[in-house]
Amino acid sequence: MNARKKAITVFGIIALLVGLNFMVFQIPGMAEPVTNSTETVSNTAPDGVGGIMGGITKFISYTGFRNATPGHLIMIVVGLFFIFLAIKYDYEPLLLIPIGTGIIIGNIPFFQDGGINLQLGIYQEGSVLNYLYFGVVKGIYPPLIFLGIGAMTDFSSLISNPRLMLLGAAAQIGIFLTLIGALYLGFNMPEAGAIGIIGGADGPTAIFLSSKLANGGIINGVQTQNLIGPIAIAAYSYMALVPVIQPPVMRLLTSKKERIIRMKPPRSVSKLEKIIFPILGLILTTFISPGALPLLGMLFFGNILKESGVTKRLADTARNPLIDIVTILLGVTVGASTQADVFLTKGSILIFVLGALSFIVATAGGILFAKVMNLFLSEGNKINPLVGAAGVSAVPDSARVVQTEGLKYDPSNHLLMHAMAPNVAGVIGSAVAAGVLMSFLM
Amino acid sequence: MHLIFQIPELILEGGIIAVIGYTIVFTALLILYYTFLYLGKVLAWKTRRRLAQAGKLSNQETEIEVTGEEAAAIALAIFLCRDLHDDESDVITIKRVSKVYSPWSSKIYGIHTFSR
Repeated sequence: MNARKKAITVFGIIALLVGLNFMVFQIPGMAEPVTNSTETVSNTAPDGVGGIMGGITKFISYTGFRNATPGHLIMIVVGLFFIFLAIKYDYEPLLLIPIGTGIIIGNIPFFQDGGINLQLGIYQEGSVLNYLYFGVVKGIYPPLIFLGIGAMTDFSSLISNPRLMLLGAAAQIGIFLTLIGALYLGFNMPEAGAIGIIGGADGPTAIFLSSKLANGGIINGVQTQNLIGPIAIAAYSYMALVPVIQPPVMRLLTSKKERIIRMKPPRSVSKLEKIIFPILGLILTTFISPGALPLLGMLFFGNILKESGVTKRLADTARNPLIDIVTILLGVTVGASTQADVFLTKGSILIFVLGALSFIVATAGGILFAKVMNLFLSEGNKINPLVGAAGVSAVPDSARVVQTEGLKYDPSNHLLMHAMAPNVAGVIGSAVAAGVLMSFLM
Repeated sequence: MHLIFQIPELILEGGIIAVIGYTIVFTALLILYYTFLYLGKVLAWKTRRRLAQAGKLSNQETEIEVTGEEAAAIALAIFLCRDLHDDESDVITIKRVSKVYSPWSSKIYGIHTFSR
């Protein structure tokens, strides 16, 4: 009863403000150029009743109620939905809470007609949000996230069973087929490359590549749209929805007999191997794809901090406070970049459709490649094809999904350690793919 | 008509990029795979040789790899052997903790002064 009263009070206040808006402007609460009225207001001398009324009119013309458009309201609902998903279903809360809140922040309507720069919005030069967004636009945050990921990743499952690396490579088919799909739907080449990377299921990599290839500038002689927001939101949304997207594909492409295959337990890995891995990995992968240097350089640097054993303090900072700070800034600015007038376009909807398909294709690519590998492997060395689904680089969510699915068919068959190998290989693979696309398309 | 011819060309170009790009990604991870496959073998060979020189490896033993599960079991056994709490001394000390009075933490005002 009490809650109902509160709700009525809140809605009452909102209704009052909207009503006030109607009375003053006789326009039903939606944006309409108010440049003239503001000019009138600013020219009115602030004396007497006229001055007070002018001030009130100006104040109302600046409120969110006056400037709201249906797009803003839709995006605020989307932001609330993200927060709901994170709290209710625990889908990637560390990402969805900052992004969801960022969406709300970015879609609070404010006065921006007549070229007036109030330095409020994320796209207005000089605003605080614009400065924070700089880290996204220039691709600064993703390498810092990779540093933290490197400092918290244990590559030993990959080192002990290196053949699982190939599953991480196979799943990158999602990136390249999405590229072709994006071209088919009418995006130009650099935009298609940026959209394709959603199939890598790696948020930081998607932001990094879209900030290079689809930033609204001229790339390789082609005028591009600013697609950083839609691509980042699509990548992170689908990463959060990995537990929903992947299981049906896994069940569709595997038989019950395949799902209960037990894999050989991974051997223990020496400290020397763990130290050599990031050093050799860094040199080999970046020699092949130098475009991936900012991402892979930081990933392997973080891992060297962890595995060297002598820089514990630096590794702790990289994997805890640093990655937390960058995640907060990245999440909230990416969320805020979905300002309705920039975000709600036909292109964004197409990107969301392509993103969903790319996750499905990537999952299928990993699973099918595991099945192909099984044709050549001896009995006892076979791979459980479910592990192939972890080739998408959504770490560690897709590995967790593999574990959960495996346990459904054999409660004593733990696949988590095996799945972590293609999962971290997927991170390397998607970064290499991003580097390759950059070198082709920039 | 112009559009009809332009679109397949762009998609064809995209297809070529996709094939080459995918091949490069595969090659990168294939190189990593072979590197660590042989690195593991080299390190195992070196360990076997060192053990053989020290006379700790019999000729019948071909497999010297330990699985992660076995390593965890050994580590747990060593931990239980060395760090059991049963070895603690039985001396129990009761230490009176003296608290320094501070009006900030004093409850006396809250207890006795009712405002009526």
